[in-house]
Amino acid sequence: MKKLAAIAILLAATSLVVLAADRIFTNPKPDAHLKKLFPNAVAFSKLEGNPLHFTAYAVDPQSNPSAPPLGFAFWTTDMVPLEHGYHGPIHILVGMDLTGVLTGVEVDYDSEPYGYFSVEPPEFAAQFKGKSIRDAYRVGGDVDAVSRASLSVNSAARAIRDSSRMVARALLNPEAVKR
Amino acid sequence: MLPAIRLLSLGLFALQQPEADPWGFDDVQSVETWGDILRPQALDLILLSIFIAFALVSFSRKSVRLKYITLAMAVGYMGFYKSYLISIVNIFAIVDWNWPILKYNLTWYLFAGFTLASTLVWGRLYCGRICAFGALTQLMDAVLPKHWRIDVPKGIERRAAWIKYGLLTAVVGYYIVTRNTMVYRFVEPFWMFGLSEKMVMWFGLGTLLLATVFVRNLYCRFACPVGASLGLISAVTTLRPIKRWSECKTCKICEKACEWGAIRGPQIVKSECVRCDDCERIYEDEQKCVHWIIITRRPEVERRAAARARRLAAPTAPAAS
Repeated sequence: MKKLAAIAILLAATSLVVLAADRIFTNPKPDAHLKKLFPNAVAFSKLEGNPLHFTAYAVDPQSNPSAPPLGFAFWTTDMVPLEHGYHGPIHILVGMDLTGVLTGVEVDYDSEPYGYFSVEPPEFAAQFKGKSIRDAYRVGGDVDAVSRASLSVNSAARAIRDSSRMVARALLNPEAVKR
Repeated sequence: MLPAIRLLSLGLFALQQPEADPWGFDDVQSVETWGDILRPQALDLILLSIFIAFALVSFSRKSVRLKYITLAMAVGYMGFYKSYLISIVNIFAIVDWNWPILKYNLTWYLFAGFTLASTLVWGRLYCGRICAFGALTQLMDAVLPKHWRIDVPKGIERRAAWIKYGLLTAVVGYYIVTRNTMVYRFVEPFWMFGLSEKMVMWFGLGTLLLATVFVRNLYCRFACPVGASLGLISAVTTLRPIKRWSECKTCKICEKACEWGAIRGPQIVKSECVRCDDCERIYEDEQKCVHWIIITRRPEVERRAAARARRLAAPTAPAAS
């Protein structure tokens, strides 16, 4: 009986360490990323709404609540949680303006073995800036292929495409999005 | 009555003409067909299937030439071109059940599935001819002069084989605590096929390859945690092990010929054997294998033995009388 209890405690302790160490949570303070996605914003909302998103404001919503926002930022891991790369989801924060154009993407965290030469270099994120949600996001087409790391790059491109279209459907006016 | 018809017709109208989707994205609302999924993956799937088929033919024929062609393909295609290698990261994935998405990565699953299935059936076949790094060191061994080679004493070899199990335990333990996948670079050299690393790492790799010049397949035999994992599987599951003759109890030819230290007396150590075919080629060779020599020369041996017995018996017979 004592042995059993000891094993149970050991198991619980290990799983706690595992949970604590595992990066299954989203970066709770992506302020620096948000500033990069919307350099002109003066304020950001909390992560809220359905689907979960940050709203970027050009004027303080406290003083002028009717002013339209600059755009939205959202985590791919919130939109498409089942999207996996080689080893787990790639955490990407995407910024999108009201016309369905990406203001940028920020790769916050990944556990991809070949991430250091595929999705982590700034050149990967940079190519999504200015892309429309109507683009194809096809690796080898409008997204650069990285040989030997295609699995990671494909997953990241799919995550960005699918999550920005998801947010567009929910929050944008289709008339405002250029065909 | 009338309102009912109107409702019905409205319902039909709605069914016939669903509200047009204002977005019209190319992929999201249209259901993905098998064609959509397979088309971008077809070439890789075909090339990998060809490679696997080739590896299996070389294995079943026990052909030296086909094996070296397979090894060259492993280095070129599986290594430098695609970087398909089973890695310690895949062992980590068992720990936290983190796998790529099946439908988008059919080639990877074919590769991983073949590795697992072949290990269950034959043992560490993967290490012997699929792994690009193992193939590279075996090709080095074939090209480099034989007199450079240092044969590790049996006792040391046997103990050193345990290092890989220690390393496997240590690195999986480290991963469970830290969840740092990037540790893989320090326990396996497979990143070399990715061609993107810091100078210091290439220096380490150079040292390892230099050591491999003198001690063949050094990494695979003593250090590889993936090899250790496959070895653990094959030690208990190998369905089609190498056959042995009853003469193998005393004969040492195969034990001496084995480059992998996988034969100890009458036994094949399944966790070390990579199914390189060397002993099986001897085993089938009627000129070399003691089993066949005994069978083919038995009539002659018996004749000589009889003659000797007669010679011995002849002079003693008169003395006794």
